[in-house]
Amino acid sequence: MKNNTNVIDLENIETIYEGERTPVIRDVSLKVKSTEFIAIIGPNGAGKTTLLETINGLLPYTSGQGFVFGKMISKHRSEIRKNIGYVLQNFEIDPLAPFLCKDIVMSGRSGKIGMFRFATKEDWEEVWYSMGLVGMIDFAQRSIGKLSGGEFQKILIARALAQEPEILLLDEPFSNLDFSSRKQIEILLNRINDKHKITTVMVSHDLSFVPSKCKRVIVMDKGKIIMDGKKDWILTSDTINKIFHNGKGL
Amino acid sequence: MIELPISLLITSILGAMFAGFVCSTMGVFVVRMNLSSIGFCMSHAAFAGAAFGLMTSIDPLISAIIFSFVTAMILGPISEKARLESNVVIGFLFSIMIALAFIFLNFIPGQAASGTALRILWGSIFSVGYNDLLILALLSFILILFIVLFYKELLAVMFHRKLAESSGINTKLFYFAVLFFTGFAVSLSLRLVGGLLVYALIINPTSSAYQFFYDFKKILIFSPLIGIISCLIGFWLSLITDFPIGASIVIISAIIFAIAIILSPKRRRGNGMQYKKTLKAV
Ligand SMILES: Nc1ncnc2c1ncn2[C@@H]1O[C@H](COP(=O)(O)OP(=O)(O)O)[C@@H](O)[C@H]1O
Ligand SMILES: [Mg+2]
Repeated sequence: MKNNTNVIDLENIETIYEGERTPVIRDVSLKVKSTEFIAIIGPNGAGKTTLLETINGLLPYTSGQGFVFGKMISKHRSEIRKNIGYVLQNFEIDPLAPFLCKDIVMSGRSGKIGMFRFATKEDWEEVWYSMGLVGMIDFAQRSIGKLSGGEFQKILIARALAQEPEILLLDEPFSNLDFSSRKQIEILLNRINDKHKITTVMVSHDLSFVPSKCKRVIVMDKGKIIMDGKKDWILTSDTINKIFHNGKGL
Repeated sequence: MIELPISLLITSILGAMFAGFVCSTMGVFVVRMNLSSIGFCMSHAAFAGAAFGLMTSIDPLISAIIFSFVTAMILGPISEKARLESNVVIGFLFSIMIALAFIFLNFIPGQAASGTALRILWGSIFSVGYNDLLILALLSFILILFIVLFYKELLAVMFHRKLAESSGINTKLFYFAVLFFTGFAVSLSLRLVGGLLVYALIINPTSSAYQFFYDFKKILIFSPLIGIISCLIGFWLSLITDFPIGASIVIISAIIFAIAIILSPKRRRGNGMQYKKTLKAV
């Protein structure tokens, strides 16, 4: 156990994919306080997804130390995960997939409810509540494969919220969405962080969509954190211009 | 038409129903988890195992189960990693299993060799004994219990394995449970349907059910139902025509699948409709 106020606390973390030799993220140290809203940005292949999946223990780290809620990630993986909501990036669903939206939202809670237990009325209340929060309550009985990109993204967010997480990890929540859906998701993320005090870590390869409630930005490149600080300062710095606009005619 | 004593007839009918139930129930998971090629390989391993049992006078049911479990133990972890090699290994194991099966069949001792060999290739109405029936009933019961007890975990895993894992479900447990139950289902249905066709009984009814429903619960109800109906009609067809039972069952389940595709609301509402509209407009 580690006693401090950081809900996420990584020290010199290194993650290597199975069967590979070189680490994808190296020497990553990151502390996130409770209720913070941070954005991790960096070009494709920078290691952002890898970092998120190291935090919730989907990928084991090969060196360094990682704590979430003060618990060592490598030892308490499944316990930690029950309190982390995860929204996967670019996730395409088969249009014929045989699932109703409400069941998908409920599936976010399955781990938390625990084995050998059935979903109770309270669990369903939580499902309706999260679906209401993302404005998708009318879609409860619809099939998951027939949603638009934005609707699907909202259901995935509701799925993560139904878990009543303390931390929300979002991987490229704005990719493949049109402008108005992006705007809706942005408002939603602001509200979730603001009203529900959920620590939010969002990943994006696009500078232009960092929600307004997000005050801290972390820049990753080639597996390392190269900048970490206030949003306004980072987004106007020279380094960021070099990384994001290099070879793009600047 | 074959004349059968009534008790044998009842045993056989019940056997066919249970076989239809266990295979097409596992089909729901196998199809959704993209385990088709592993399942295919496992059913041929069970076939080779049964042949091995006949050759060495071990109970073919036990050797079939062992063969298909060993296959699951080899293929499960490889495919789980979603590595490229998994298809290569599956192709390799599949051909080895078929080759082994024919070699074993060739060495079955005694005079009845060719009859026995044919029976496990094509399946046989008379092959379901009282004990087989008991085991099939037991497996059916365990499967129902498994699904009722772990419905919420299974649904989460069927939707998306990584997401399920990320919300705290031990998905590996369910992945291997599906493989093992499939191994049991295949091995137990082998004698009735035959080693070459048992896999169709896993895939066809499920694929038919997938044409109609968007609700996972309904698929879990209708897939086994279609499996049972296929087996019953197939059984009847085999009785009146003398077709091999396995072939009859598979033909019936394939016909149901074809009808399902034609009637499928999922397909009609999609491209088909638009295509017709465009045609009219032109
Ligand atoms: N399963 C994997 N096995 C091996 N390498 C991987 C795997 N997934 C991602 N990588 C590599 O890790 C690097 C970082 O990937 P990722 O974390 O997905 O980047 P980002 O999310 O920032 O685009 C990439 O170079 C990618 O090729
Ligand atoms: Mg990524």
